[in-house]
Amino acid sequence: MLNIRRARTAAALVAMFMALIGSKAHAVPSFARQTGMACEACHTVFPELTHFGRMFKANGYTLDNLKQVRDINSQKEDLLLLSTLAPLSAMVQLSETWLNQPLPDVTDHGAHSQTSTTGFPQQLSLFYAGKIAPHLGAMIQITYDNASGSIGMDNTDVRFAKNLLLPEDRSLIYGISLNNNPTVQDLWNSTPAWGFPYASSNAVVSPIAAAQIDGTLAQDVAGLTAYLMWNESLYGEAGVYHSAKQGATNAITGAAGPLDGTTSNVIDGASPYARIAYERQWRRHDLEIGAYGASFRLYPGGTASAPAPLTGPVNRFSDIAEDLQYQFIGERDLFSLQATHIHESMQLDASYSSGVAINPSDDLNTTRITGTYYFRRKYGVTFGHFATSGSGDADLYPAAPAPGVITSANGRPDTHGWIGELNYLPWLNVKLSLQYVAYGEFNGGSTNYDGFGRNASANNTTYALLWLAF
Amino acid sequence: MIRRALIPFTVLMLVTGGLRADEIDGSLRLAAERIAVSTCATCHGPRGHSIAPKFPVLAGQHANYLLAQLQAFKAQTRGDPDALGYMWGMAAPLDDTTMAALADYYGRQRPEAGQRGDPALTARGQQIYQQGDATAGIPPCGACHGPHADGTGMYPRLAGQHVEYLMKQLRSFQSNLRNVAIMHGIAQVLPVHDMLAVATYLQSLGP
Repeated sequence: MLNIRRARTAAALVAMFMALIGSKAHAVPSFARQTGMACEACHTVFPELTHFGRMFKANGYTLDNLKQVRDINSQKEDLLLLSTLAPLSAMVQLSETWLNQPLPDVTDHGAHSQTSTTGFPQQLSLFYAGKIAPHLGAMIQITYDNASGSIGMDNTDVRFAKNLLLPEDRSLIYGISLNNNPTVQDLWNSTPAWGFPYASSNAVVSPIAAAQIDGTLAQDVAGLTAYLMWNESLYGEAGVYHSAKQGATNAITGAAGPLDGTTSNVIDGASPYARIAYERQWRRHDLEIGAYGASFRLYPGGTASAPAPLTGPVNRFSDIAEDLQYQFIGERDLFSLQATHIHESMQLDASYSSGVAINPSDDLNTTRITGTYYFRRKYGVTFGHFATSGSGDADLYPAAPAPGVITSANGRPDTHGWIGELNYLPWLNVKLSLQYVAYGEFNGGSTNYDGFGRNASANNTTYALLWLAF
Repeated sequence: MIRRALIPFTVLMLVTGGLRADEIDGSLRLAAERIAVSTCATCHGPRGHSIAPKFPVLAGQHANYLLAQLQAFKAQTRGDPDALGYMWGMAAPLDDTTMAALADYYGRQRPEAGQRGDPALTARGQQIYQQGDATAGIPPCGACHGPHADGTGMYPRLAGQHVEYLMKQLRSFQSNLRNVAIMHGIAQVLPVHDMLAVATYLQSLGP
């Protein structure tokens, strides 16, 4: 019974997380206000970055063409350089989601939920995105999400960067990023935080399994990473992540911490993160290949009603990933391709000893590939394939005792499917999207994956979105 | 990155846009080089050798011409689409001294060898460039831009420029998005296939 309860708790946490990452995408017009440059300088179509956008980010979001409030000392050193216009912007996502088959209604066996959900808004975000001081800039996002009905911290990246002039007019950018989501600081759209889909429904059934680096720890950690970029082509980054839970309260202090056993998935100490990438441009083409990875030691912890001390064995997740991005940016035609493969090795000492995992070690592989075409940055179409597979573990990916959809009857994490999207942008900061997600397999099965007769295709989703950034 | 703070205050006292090369001292040159490498190079390439044809090659371009363009971007009087999208913002914080130093930096960079295109197009382009087309009312381009397309005074260097960029500019002259009377008159009577021919020929020319 304990196993089932923990397993259901884990499944519920996965579901909550997937709902959160369903609304990850962003576009930040305050950058345009600050630089005086149109969206197309930094984006093919938002939020995908061009080479210039990547360099703007690597340089700390500090390129600033606005009039400054200024102060100096007697040595003529700058004490203050503050833009006269604060780099603020907002984003609203209004959406409609249709599930292929309704969900079971938990209030009555045999009854069903509605098949469609209106998000009005699905998400509303406010940004401070731009320069704070010379060499120091930030993208700080605060989001209202209709799933939680509350306002919370969203993706954040505060960075310090400088540019060194090397012999033969080459450059070396060096910097530090403070951020709250592994890969949110990354420059390419082939890594998880900024990968396709850039927006998706938060009113859907999401797969049971995802790698830790694939958004699982988003907004629950704080990372400090240092990076170098040589000659705008070779990039290296290394750093560490530490737990920084939002909404956690220590029962004894009544304050924000220290974290204890009422909190789940807490990093033991600091977890290392590394990234390397090479980008090459030729004429209108731009190709990036790279690798990224992290190793997380997590205490499973618990909840307020079922605490588990943050001591003893830990679960170790070693994530190693490769990625690739190709862009063709023409005056009329734009094409981009992003791909990534993430391999996660799990050494589940904690979960195995407590009976939450059957196997002492498991593995998980995730592959995504996406191709996008835009005509005059106005009409776009995207197709993508996604697949997750791994070792079976009936406790880690549990069946449910009653109808439940984020479960696996055969204890497998395997999910694959296709995603298609049509986009229309009447203006560069207004996007209308129609997206369809089709599952060939869901949580280990194409038919009756939950043991209660639900097929993978029942979770197919149609999603219409109006995305305003201003 | 483009900041007046990079420029020594003594130099900031110079307010004319027509600085001579010998008036641009070492510290101003270094400041301009920093701006060029850290910011301009992202689009215009290392030392002005642009990689993407959306952005013009600047290496070896005449400083007077570059300065005039930067001033036009800042004054928002050059109105072709990429000028609005990119350079109006970029030029906004630049003072005349910095613009002059940047123009000088790119003027001092050595152009690279041209890229050959279709031989027939190149030959037709060469003919128009050197002789014009009297029956169509097209004057020889070389009369202003020089026999080797390396520019003269306020007429820009065109040798080695990207075909795509040249085509875009010719269309902008034609539609008057970029308002230059001489070029508007010529682009009005220059058929598209001849525009492409001239652009192909110009891209093939080296230093």
